[in-house]
Amino acid sequence: MEPPIVYYHRSEYIETDTGNKVSRKSVICGSQNIILGGKTIIQTDCVIRGDLRRTGGGHAVVVAIGRYCLLARGSIIRPPYKTYKGIFSYYPMKIGDHVTIGEGSIVEAATIGSFVHIGKNCVIGRFAIIKDCCRIEDNTVIPPNTVVPSFSIYEGSPGAFVDELPECVQDLYESKTKDYYAKFQPKDS
Amino acid sequence: MSSSSQTEIRHIRPYVHYHCGCPDVNKSSVSLETENGETFNINSPRIQFSTFSISKLYFCDDCHQIRCPRCVQEEIVCYYCPNCLFEVPTASVKSERNRCARNCFQCPICQNTLSVLPSSEPQPPPSPISPTTVPTVSATGAPYYLSCGVCRWDSQEIGMTFEKATGLALQLQKTEDERPDVKEFDHLKDHFEKHIRLNTPSTALPSSLLSIPGMSSFSSRYGGTVANSQQKSDDVVPYEAVAKVETESGLVDDLVQLKDVNQITTLSQRMNQLSDQPYKVERLQPQRIHLRTKRVKRCRSCRHILIKPEQKAQATRFKIKLVALNSIPKITIASLPKLILNQRTQIVLKFSNPLYEEISVNLAIQEETNECGKVTILAPHFNITPYNEVWEYDEQDLVASRSRTASNSIGIYERRGNSTSIMFEITPLAEVEEFKFPLLVTYTSKNIENNENENVTAVEKSLEETSSLKATSGEPATDGSTKTLSFWTVIGLGSVIKAPPGTSGTMVAGPRSEPSGSSKGSTRGSTGGSSSVRK
Repeated sequence: MEPPIVYYHRSEYIETDTGNKVSRKSVICGSQNIILGGKTIIQTDCVIRGDLRRTGGGHAVVVAIGRYCLLARGSIIRPPYKTYKGIFSYYPMKIGDHVTIGEGSIVEAATIGSFVHIGKNCVIGRFAIIKDCCRIEDNTVIPPNTVVPSFSIYEGSPGAFVDELPECVQDLYESKTKDYYAKFQPKDS
Repeated sequence: MSSSSQTEIRHIRPYVHYHCGCPDVNKSSVSLETENGETFNINSPRIQFSTFSISKLYFCDDCHQIRCPRCVQEEIVCYYCPNCLFEVPTASVKSERNRCARNCFQCPICQNTLSVLPSSEPQPPPSPISPTTVPTVSATGAPYYLSCGVCRWDSQEIGMTFEKATGLALQLQKTEDERPDVKEFDHLKDHFEKHIRLNTPSTALPSSLLSIPGMSSFSSRYGGTVANSQQKSDDVVPYEAVAKVETESGLVDDLVQLKDVNQITTLSQRMNQLSDQPYKVERLQPQRIHLRTKRVKRCRSCRHILIKPEQKAQATRFKIKLVALNSIPKITIASLPKLILNQRTQIVLKFSNPLYEEISVNLAIQEETNECGKVTILAPHFNITPYNEVWEYDEQDLVASRSRTASNSIGIYERRGNSTSIMFEITPLAEVEEFKFPLLVTYTSKNIENNENENVTAVEKSLEETSSLKATSGEPATDGSTKTLSFWTVIGLGSVIKAPPGTSGTMVAGPRSEPSGSSKGSTRGSTGGSSSVRK
């Protein structure tokens, strides 16, 4: 099924020089600590907590998001935290290219690779590592510290391996995210 | 191809599935499908096992054929742990019983990954304000235990603790080796190995099977003994078991008096601990995580490699990747209005050409097999321009302007880049859960390098040939500079609904409706544009 063209209100979104489209109705905290790779869409009611950074001085990247990513409505990106040797600290999060995060999903992963699809209403636990080319189905809960290896489909609560993805998933997700970006169009009125 | 923002509620998502006849698998079996002139029956119970979405299919260049997961052969190239992602050498896979021999364990209750925790928190550094100073750890944190982040199970419950935080599997090796099933297997092996050494196997399994660890000994044990059973089977000493299966006395009584169902293990918990399959929750043990594999995939008929992953466990690239997505036209449903009973509806299918050559496509349907409605192809013959990387960057004008170069040809909805969108006319005649119809796609790729004038005639010839062939799926006709391939697809359009009262007439295609173009197509298409395979 060909995805339809999605129109948005021109005044709602800010478009950056590199083609990122960020909704004014999203909550972006600590924007100086957030990197967007370009052509990434951040939709209405998203929350990115760039202010939750490692204790101690110095400028640090908290959330790095690659190119052609999509944070759908109401998704929350929050860097993971833990108490290590008695010190509570937040740790940076990295998200690769061509990553789709579904509506209402909460992500506290340490790393998300490229070509990853995360469904709606998922919870990605703290310090989870999602490798390249993965699919997390809708309503899945990935427990903390879980490693999701490449070419796997995880489903359920707690999320478990259910199937393998085909070899061409990289091309598939790349064209899907590019197509979505191209069809995410402004509309006046 | 997810239709997330599709507003209509459908039980079955629309799909386009490609059929693979698996000529090598189905050689001997009675085939219901497409054996030269036979009908392709989409209602056959077999169909869901022989049709796949294009992403799951492969394409063999040598056979010029579609290959599905059923007609490829797999060979393991690498074993790795899905949790720690360490590659396990093939030699040690067998001795480690196909499980991770490091620190990766599965929760016995919820089958999740366990993490290693120290039972005593190491001393915090004296001044938490300055984190740069490395804290001197006085307490090592031993003993360590395994803990589940999901169900809060921890290995202290069953009295399992570890001295060191690394090499946990090694620390458990001793207890694992003493398990009765492991002992019994070793004993069994010792018993028969003496015998097998005397009878060297005369028939060996194919060398490809020998590459699977454990398979060589299997072949020598079973293949060998079967072959030589007549001559030398007499001297096998009867085997006596060493391990006695302990009968849990009073287990039945316990189970009879059981009041709380949580006191016994679930089936999946029992099946995860195959060695003793305990009924009592206290006897569940954490299991080491199963290894995963990377596999080479080969065409069954010509043995050529279709998929060859990189050796490294973490690499996601492929040295060889012959997938259908890059070789055959991709069909997507571009526009699909609601299907209403007895109403003529136009749908649009988009055909994309992944090749660097122009292809011409021929479409055909079967009339007689379609009891759920009438399908008319408005443009049964059309060309698709070659794929060009430049178009990838041309993202503008997607919404504003549609190139209407094709507006003069009947039934062609749109041409853009390497794709052509074709209109279909659907009249549902039965209220069905899922409206689906078969579609025979024949495409011919033209080789640009050859003489162009000759080429055109050749293509026309081959087109005539293929249309006269009638539904012979999967017969590659290689004619010098052109290559032709036919395959069946099944197109599912979701459910048909009854017409709401007070509405009638023709539904016009989709959200991007174009009244002038489509009405023209519909009136003309009903007279001349249709094509179908008639018997």
